[in-house]
Amino acid sequence: MSDKKTYPICFDGLFRQNIVLTSGLVTAPIIVAATTAQRAALLSLTFFMISYCTILIGRIIPRKLVYTVRIILYALIASLVFIPTAVLAQTLFPDIMTSAMLYIEILVVNSLVLAKTESRFYLIPYSSMAIDSLVYIAGYALAAFAVGIVRELLAYGTVFDLHICHAIMPAAKSPFFGFILVGLYAAICRAYYNRKRSRDAALSELVRKGADD
Amino acid sequence: MAVLSAIISAAMLSIFVQNAIFERAFGSNVAIYASRRESHIIGFSLGITAMTTAASVATYFLDGIILPMENGWLFMPLIYVGVISVLYIIALLVMWRFMPKLFVKIRKYAHLAVFNCTVIGALFLNSGYGGDLLSYIGYGIGTGIGFFLASLMLSIAREKLDSDKIPKAFRGYPIMLIYIGVVSLAFYALVGYTVDF
Repeated sequence: MSDKKTYPICFDGLFRQNIVLTSGLVTAPIIVAATTAQRAALLSLTFFMISYCTILIGRIIPRKLVYTVRIILYALIASLVFIPTAVLAQTLFPDIMTSAMLYIEILVVNSLVLAKTESRFYLIPYSSMAIDSLVYIAGYALAAFAVGIVRELLAYGTVFDLHICHAIMPAAKSPFFGFILVGLYAAICRAYYNRKRSRDAALSELVRKGADD
Repeated sequence: MAVLSAIISAAMLSIFVQNAIFERAFGSNVAIYASRRESHIIGFSLGITAMTTAASVATYFLDGIILPMENGWLFMPLIYVGVISVLYIIALLVMWRFMPKLFVKIRKYAHLAVFNCTVIGALFLNSGYGGDLLSYIGYGIGTGIGFFLASLMLSIAREKLDSDKIPKAFRGYPIMLIYIGVVSLAFYALVGYTVDF
């Protein structure tokens, strides 16, 4: 596949194939650790650094290597990228880094790196891959903030530590609420796309009938 | 008897108090995927149990060296991924040599049971709790059993959750997450505490 061939920018990773809300590839950090907007920012930053750098570096691994070895190498690259990522996150978010650490550490084996690379990113030219993977990561950040902001508002009555109202649901910071909230968001996404698909199908049917007439 | 009791109590902790799926959300996507078929539940659970147990033994000795080091925590993911990778290769080689049919069948999916949050998360939790070698082993076994129970519960519910009674937008992944959330709530009530996040 030639790198000179141009591919249109695809925004599927933002909503239609969102890795949290639609395909459920990387859910644990958001369900458990995205309890405030600040934590969402921490998770988004660390996910971006670990995943994006690994995807860009991992592309140089020859496809001739067996699949088993490639998967191991991706995980090892992600573990190496984790080191500067953790240092940076510790500097930027010293107060919340410790409590969210477990969910940052497990990002080294996230499915965007281990699965999507083989099934999507490494099948397209490098420049397109760089943009496409960025869109997927933006989709993750979007989901993280959507979950974090709502939970912070419900659990603490604040958004980015800015007081809005009194805490109406302290349990919103618990993992079970994270599961339910992400489930609800996933259903909303699906309902929207089901509706869009029906509308598009009806429109094409109308166009087809018009052409026949 | 004391050995058995130490292993069982650590296993009970990871099955009920710190269930990988319901309380930590580790590998919830893998559990949802595995719950589609009984053979997947058994295969994934065996893979995860074997990996968490074997890797826990290895990391027990490595933790003793790395954790006391300054900034040792930065290298933990690298070391844990290294341990898992070595065990994964050994397991594949053993299977290739002694169970060639099974090897061909599972080689495309084996990495899903090995390189996931459940396995690596269990190792991090183990090192966080500290404890002796028996606790590490018990926690490793318990993580696999906890995954099996969670997948089984999802599998039992799947038929009803995918029925026409559920609104179309909720069917599949969304309703599964909400179901896990409700079961997770029950686990919290059972244990009587909440993870501070």
